[in-house]
Amino acid sequence: MNLNTDLLTLRSVSKSYGTVPVLHDIDLSIKDGEFLTVLGPSGSGKTTVLRLIGGLEPLTAGEIRLDGQDISRMPINRRPFNTVFQDYALFPHMTVSGNVGYGLSVRHIQRKEIARRVAEALELVQLGRFADRFPAQLSGGQRQRVALARALICQPRLILLDEPLAALDLELRRQMQEFLKSIQREIKTTFLFVTHDQEEAIGMADRICVMQAGHIRQLGTPHELYYKPNCEFVARFFGENNLVAGKLGPVQGEQRPIETALGRLICSISDQLHLKTAPDGASAFAAFRPEALRLADATDSGNRFSGTIADLAFAGSSTVATVTAGADTAVQRLRLRMPSRIDGSALKSGETVSLSFAPHEGHLVLA
Amino acid sequence: MNALPRPSTIFLAAITTLVAVLLYSPLFVPIVSSFFTVSHGNVDWSSPTLSTYVALAENHDILAALRTTLIVGVCTVVLSVVSGTLLALYYHGRRSGRSILQFIIFLPFLMPPIISGLALLIFFREIGLERSLLTVVIGHTVFVLAIVYRTVLMRLQSMSRTLVEASYDLGATGWQTFWRIILPNLSSAMVGGAILAFALSFDETMITILVTGTQSTLPVRLWAMMRLGFSPDINALVALILMFTVLLCVLAARFLIPRQMATERT
Repeated sequence: MNLNTDLLTLRSVSKSYGTVPVLHDIDLSIKDGEFLTVLGPSGSGKTTVLRLIGGLEPLTAGEIRLDGQDISRMPINRRPFNTVFQDYALFPHMTVSGNVGYGLSVRHIQRKEIARRVAEALELVQLGRFADRFPAQLSGGQRQRVALARALICQPRLILLDEPLAALDLELRRQMQEFLKSIQREIKTTFLFVTHDQEEAIGMADRICVMQAGHIRQLGTPHELYYKPNCEFVARFFGENNLVAGKLGPVQGEQRPIETALGRLICSISDQLHLKTAPDGASAFAAFRPEALRLADATDSGNRFSGTIADLAFAGSSTVATVTAGADTAVQRLRLRMPSRIDGSALKSGETVSLSFAPHEGHLVLA
Repeated sequence: MNALPRPSTIFLAAITTLVAVLLYSPLFVPIVSSFFTVSHGNVDWSSPTLSTYVALAENHDILAALRTTLIVGVCTVVLSVVSGTLLALYYHGRRSGRSILQFIIFLPFLMPPIISGLALLIFFREIGLERSLLTVVIGHTVFVLAIVYRTVLMRLQSMSRTLVEASYDLGATGWQTFWRIILPNLSSAMVGGAILAFALSFDETMITILVTGTQSTLPVRLWAMMRLGFSPDINALVALILMFTVLLCVLAARFLIPRQMATERT
């Protein structure tokens, strides 16, 4: 188990259904032992990626390599991967232990050995007491865990999870997220998790691959995606964000200004070559998170502009203010998130305030 | 229904009862009268008796016809379930040719039986196949195939495609997937289809009369008895056939309607 070696590599993989392309030239490497989440809105091709890896669909072009060996044409039942399906796909005519042991019994492993490993797997997912029940007698969360036990009993190199938490309610989903993460740490197997829920992705993944319209938009740690989105789509899709359009000015060391309706905003471009090399005058967005925006005091030296509080929304630990700023012709609606206070917010709707964000908390994305 | 005013509710109930009585009461007449003797065409209501059933049990023609019916029924069930299931499996998820095949399968079921029977009769004569129990079995199979095909296909369509995918994903071969996942999930539909097929074969008269050789099945025998005049054991025979058919339909419904096999077993 070495996090630096690639377990699986997709090389210029494309997929079309008839004449309709769903994946364009995908390149993706999955590291051994990592928890990789493929995140995207519906129709982004994320489930197709999983189905291609699992062997449930043939590739249109490109290749998939496992440990460097091309497995593009390996039949599904010989690939050392197992899938947890969105609808769980538990066999309704088999008990829980029948379901979990299926992968072993089709390989003609001895009954005693199967019984031992089924008990072990059920213990791992905390379903030991339910071995003799049928799937119809289980709750959604329990079925989910049976599906997981059934997938991991064959000791696959990679476990593919196709939006497995989508059918669960919020509380159960949170529990299952922690549970999945702890199982993954315990068995040290690579997980490829597909979801459209970015909170789920942030909470669980070592790395996230953001997909849109059949392309990979960005691949990185949740932290990288949150603070250094590489395009408008990721900046908008991944967490709440303020985006202000403008034209790039000349590079100033590790920073670069952008002329916007809010005036000249200075943003950080550290380590991002594509922002350094973009020509002056190129269209771009200044992106800053609601929690980076704050009420400016007299000494504040960041990017300053004034705005009007349009709305205040109390959200428990934080309060979110919607602010309108900029000239009449290009009004920007911005969000500002600040810690809530027990004696209520000092701000009032309609009040004009001075706002700022620090250059190192501002980020640029090319339009 | 609660929203309806009371007089209309009573009126509707009266209509429903009337329709039910008119439609179904004739069915009870032979059942009831089978427990009484008949002399000179009149039912003697004074003394209930089982003598008609005794007479039936001693009627060797009837017993032979019953045996023939059972043989034909079992053969028809085996043939139609096997071929109906195979056809359903083959055409499931396949677009091309499916609607034509369905049309052909349903044609004998929807056409007037006399047309199906005549068509078969002409066909058997053309290919030189002697009329016998074999031709009866073929005729019945052609007739009931639609029911089995439809029942199995509907179950296949309601079966999640991911079940099969999950089986392959867990390392099973196509053969293992068929025997261990597909077939067990189809079995109750196949049993239900088989019972319906048997019930249909059991009752089938018109096609049987046309394509049978010297042996006759129970309904055909009944037909012949009717032509010779009304005898008391006909009542007993009708009552028995009726009860048997109802029983089969109840059984078929039991297999076709509940979908949770798990709760069924525990």
